[in-house]
Order: sequence, then C-alpha cells, then structure tokens
Amino acid sequence: MVGVIRRMNKLNAQLVRIRNGPGAAVLPQDVTRIHMEFAHKFNNGHMGPRKFWQDALPRLKYWNPAVPMVVNRTHDQEGPATLTLYFREPGATLKSDVPQPGSSTDGFAKAPTPAEGERAVTIDMKNRRSEAILKEFMDKSGAVPVKPTAQDELLMREVEEREVQSRIDYERIRKLNEEAKREKAMLAQAQSEAAAIRGES
Amino acid sequence: MASLNQCLASLARLSLVAPARPTVTPTLLKFLVPSATAPLVRRASGGGGMRKRPAKKKKTYKMFRSYDLSQIEQYSLCDAMRYLRAIEVGRPPASVKYDLAIKIKTHKNGPVLRNSIRLPFPVKTDTRIGVICPEDSPLMVEAQQLGAVAVGQESLFESIREGNIPFNKLICHVDSQEALKQANLGKILGPKGLMPNPKTKTITNDLKATVQELIGADEYRERGGVVRIAVGQLGFTPKMLSENIRALMSLVKTDISNADENHPKALDEVVLSSTNGPGFSLNGTFHSTDEKVKPEDLQSVM
Repeated sequence: MVGVIRRMNKLNAQLVRIRNGPGAAVLPQDVTRIHMEFAHKFNNGHMGPRKFWQDALPRLKYWNPAVPMVVNRTHDQEGPATLTLYFREPGATLKSDVPQPGSSTDGFAKAPTPAEGERAVTIDMKNRRSEAILKEFMDKSGAVPVKPTAQDELLMREVEEREVQSRIDYERIRKLNEEAKREKAMLAQAQSEAAAIRGES
Repeated sequence: MASLNQCLASLARLSLVAPARPTVTPTLLKFLVPSATAPLVRRASGGGGMRKRPAKKKKTYKMFRSYDLSQIEQYSLCDAMRYLRAIEVGRPPASVKYDLAIKIKTHKNGPVLRNSIRLPFPVKTDTRIGVICPEDSPLMVEAQQLGAVAVGQESLFESIREGNIPFNKLICHVDSQEALKQANLGKILGPKGLMPNPKTKTITNDLKATVQELIGADEYRERGGVVRIAVGQLGFTPKMLSENIRALMSLVKTDISNADENHPKALDEVVLSSTNGPGFSLNGTFHSTDEKVKPEDLQSVM
C-alpha cells in the first residue's frame, strides 16, 4: 500500500470536490427519484448528459443519499437524452416497495411510469451543455445549493496550492530527466562512433 | 650470544617479510586508518578528492513496510459507503463491487494467509445470472438485489433472440415457466446449456436459495502483505456489507492467530474501496458521523 500522507492528500482532494461544486445541493423532500437516459458515446448531442452524470450527479447523490438515481445508458446514439424527475404529489403517501430497476449499460432500465401519487417532470438534455442542464434541473427540482463550510474552503485552497506546486515540480523534474536522457543519448552516439572508427582502422 | 642470534633472526624475518608487502602501505595506512591520536574529522570534500567510496549497501527489510497510522483519517462504514455510492452513481449495481484490502504486518518470506470463505451474502465473481420472472413484480426486485444482470420476461426473451446474452447462468421462476415454453428459445439457449430445466434445478420457486447455490465460495490469499477480496456489490445494503466484512474479518483474524510462531502476523489496516472509487481506511464503526444519514438511506436503488 501507498504511504499514509500521499493517500490522504489524494483522497481529501477527491472528497472535497464531491462535497462542493456544481451539483452540490439538497433536494426538497418531495423529490422521490431521478432517472437519466442517454447514449454511451458523445456524438449526436450526448456529451452534455454524460458530463452531467459524471460531474453533477455524484454531488447530488452525496447530498441526497436516499434518493434513487438511476442511469440508463443505451447504444442508440440517435436516441433521446432525457432526465426525469419524480415528485410526490402533495399529501400523497407512496408505497415503499415500488419496483424499480437498477442502472443499466444496455438500455434495460427504462424510465418507470410514475407510480400512484407521483408525477414526473422531464428535462430534454440532448445537444445541451451540462451547465445548462444543471441550471434547468435546479429550477425544476427546487434544490437548495450547499454552501461550502469554512473547513472545506480551507481544504480546497490547500488542494489547489498543492496542485500548483505539483505542476511546478513536474516541470522541474521533466527538465532534469530530459537533460539526463539527452546526455545519455549523446554519450551512446559518441561511443558508437568511436567504435566505428576503431573498426575501420 | 643467544640473544644476539635471536635478534638477528628476527631482523632477518623482518627483512624477508617486508619486501613482500607494498612499500607504500605504511604511508597509506597513516591516511586511511583513523589513529587514536589524530581526531576523526569529516570533510565535505571527502578528504581524498574524487576517491570512489564503496557503493552504499541497500538496506533489506524482512517485514513488509507498515506505516504510522496516527495521521490517517479513518471512516465509519456508512460514511465510506455514502462516498462510494456517490462516486459510483449510475453504474450497473451488479457489476460494481466493494473491495476490501486487509493490510497485515508480516514477514516477506514464510507462509502466507490463504483460505476460502462463503460469505453470508455472496458476491458474484464470474457467474452472471439471468432471471426469468414476471415483469414489474416484487420477484424482479428480489432478483436484482440478489445480483442478477438481466431480469424480466418478454424484454429478456427479446434480447436473447437478438443475441444479447449478458449472463452465463439462467434461472426461471415457476411463475414464468409457461411463458418460457411458449417463447421457443430452446434453439438458442439449448446449445449454450442455458435452458432452464427442473432437472438441473434451474426452474425454481425460491430464487434466493438457487442464486446462492449457483454462486460458490470465494478464495482469498495474501499477496505482498495484503489480502484483497471483493466483499459486496454496489447494490448491497450497509447491513449486508457489514455482515460480509464481519464474517471475513473474523476468519482472517483466526488465520492470523493460527500463523506459524516463527512468522508472526498482525492486523494492520482495513481499507474499503469500490471498482471505480478510492480507498477508505475503516475505523471499525458502523454508523455515519452525520446524524442526518441513516443506514436505511444507503440502500436505495442505484
């Protein structure tokens, strides 16, 4: 296993970005589930949905762990890219065991029809950027963005500083390595030339 | 006279021996051997200019390296699951696994831990199970929770006809037996040995028992001082995962205590990760540090 500090630095950088950033928001109580459907590849307008899934959805899932979020990826690039939000109707109580398929990579998990006492709102995601999708999502769902805590802000600054420093260090080491490589190549060339001259005489 | 003779003899011996040794030796020794009278001074230049020192002998360790864990942040099971579920959101819950890495303080040579375990909730290894059962029924949910990769009736038949077979074991619930007969899939499934049949106990009314029978025991083995094994699927509840981890840990602990006396072993660290997620060092507690997050919140459909 890798050393403790190195592991912690990497983990904390990943976790602080899950807790904060675009998509870090608490959904209102009446959102029952979220369903996304889009294609595997990014052509034909499926880039935005993919980005939304990779960037915003983990943050939403972190802040709303109890809300089922199902992603159905299809192999049909021409197909639709939709996000469906399910709301509980005011005053209605839902059955706890509504059958719901898990996420699928083969298009098996179609968006379920709203159960009794539930209504669905769809967002068309095709040919749109993930920021635009997130904005519409926040408007339609009524989610409340989470403000980063003072501790997290400090941590984020630390992470950024480390990244800046790491780029500087990377550049420095890259130059050193290149220099060493160049010298080695020159030496090898000189030696081979010397061997050739010796061979001739 | 005798004494003189002795003296001469000793002198002769000296003169005989001396030429055999290099004459520079005494002068060299003066520099090299730190004498008691000359103070031992280290100089940055090394004293002798470009004198080559013997290559530093690389230190070899008998034990695998273990780190000081006082600075590590450790997580409760529910906290780790909350993060991992967020990272793995939208991935198929049956193919994404929770993995456990158990770091052990142990010698580099000597016997390794090796055993097999039947976990309370089996993790599929390479058995991918398809379940034929009525659509939108509680059975479908049950089958999915048990880790079936393809569940359904007409939709599943359709995908089989298209040649899309994501499973290598197929079972059928008694309720769907008639539908299976009418679907005429024998031509496709028969040659692959996938056709459900009461003789092979693949037509059943107890999905759980059949699925567990199809999935065998998991082997684990210590490699590089670490035991790594899959302990759950993404769809598992915190309770299922904790039971699996507890069963595994108790077995590994007995293995450790049974270790050979000359090669003692000790438990060092337990790290939970997932297929696409980072590793979380576990502190052995269950409940989340955030009171708002209950274990029940972490069992929604992924």
